[in-house]
Amino acid sequence: MYLFLLLPLGVENVSLNLNPYHKSANELQAEQVLVLAAQANPLRFGVLYECYFKQVFVFVHRRLDDEEQAADIVSQVFLKALINLHKYEYRGVPFSAWLFRIALNEINMYFRKNKSHRVVSIEKNDLQLLAEETGEENKAENEQKIMKALALLPEGSMQLVELRFFEKRSFAEMGTILGITENNAKVKLYRVIDKLKQLIIPRK
Amino acid sequence: MAKYKFNINKPDLPDHKIDKHKDFKKLIANYQQATKPLYKVPLYKNKKAFIVILLILLLTYLISEFTAK
Repeated sequence: MYLFLLLPLGVENVSLNLNPYHKSANELQAEQVLVLAAQANPLRFGVLYECYFKQVFVFVHRRLDDEEQAADIVSQVFLKALINLHKYEYRGVPFSAWLFRIALNEINMYFRKNKSHRVVSIEKNDLQLLAEETGEENKAENEQKIMKALALLPEGSMQLVELRFFEKRSFAEMGTILGITENNAKVKLYRVIDKLKQLIIPRK
Repeated sequence: MAKYKFNINKPDLPDHKIDKHKDFKKLIANYQQATKPLYKVPLYKNKKAFIVILLILLLTYLISEFTAK
């Protein structure tokens, strides 16, 4: 039982340089003031819109690889965010995590309606990080193995790998985006890494 | 059929292309439209509501005619 609690720690210790959008406590507090102002007056949402438009656009575009579709989805994301802003509650993560959660729901809805390919954008360096985590050395051949293993992952698992390794998000942020707890995100990611290891080196 | 399409080292869209799609005025207009109370939308602009009311009136008329006979 205790082993189960320790398992995620290995994943947590992965040396990731977290993405540049991570905020300090003061920045989060200042952002919260902006959110409260927007909740009182929707016209004040403009500051948050300006601040997060690019991030949300890039988030959506990386998964769609279609500029016009991404623009449509992003406009829906901000509209839904503004309509539901009164429901937003601060949970210790940047406001953007809530926006990404809406964006992910919109993207999932888009792929349910359309039969387009789900796009996964990867930097070679991030692949190296994933290779290290799965115990593979970073050689071209192993990269191919990892890519093949990634291709076999179900959508939910791919989202976890994408958020953690390709976008370098914290577990708290991942939890908010995926609608699960921080610990659950750690446990699930650990299982995905284990699954990847099995796919790369099948057990006899 | 492959489930995923992998883009390796593909750069993100440049800022000017992203900014082209930024339009806060449009967002506010859409928001005001979406949150407008139903009673403030003219009936003739809402086809569904208009047809439902028309059907109810027609049914009421037909039932009253039928019971009168």
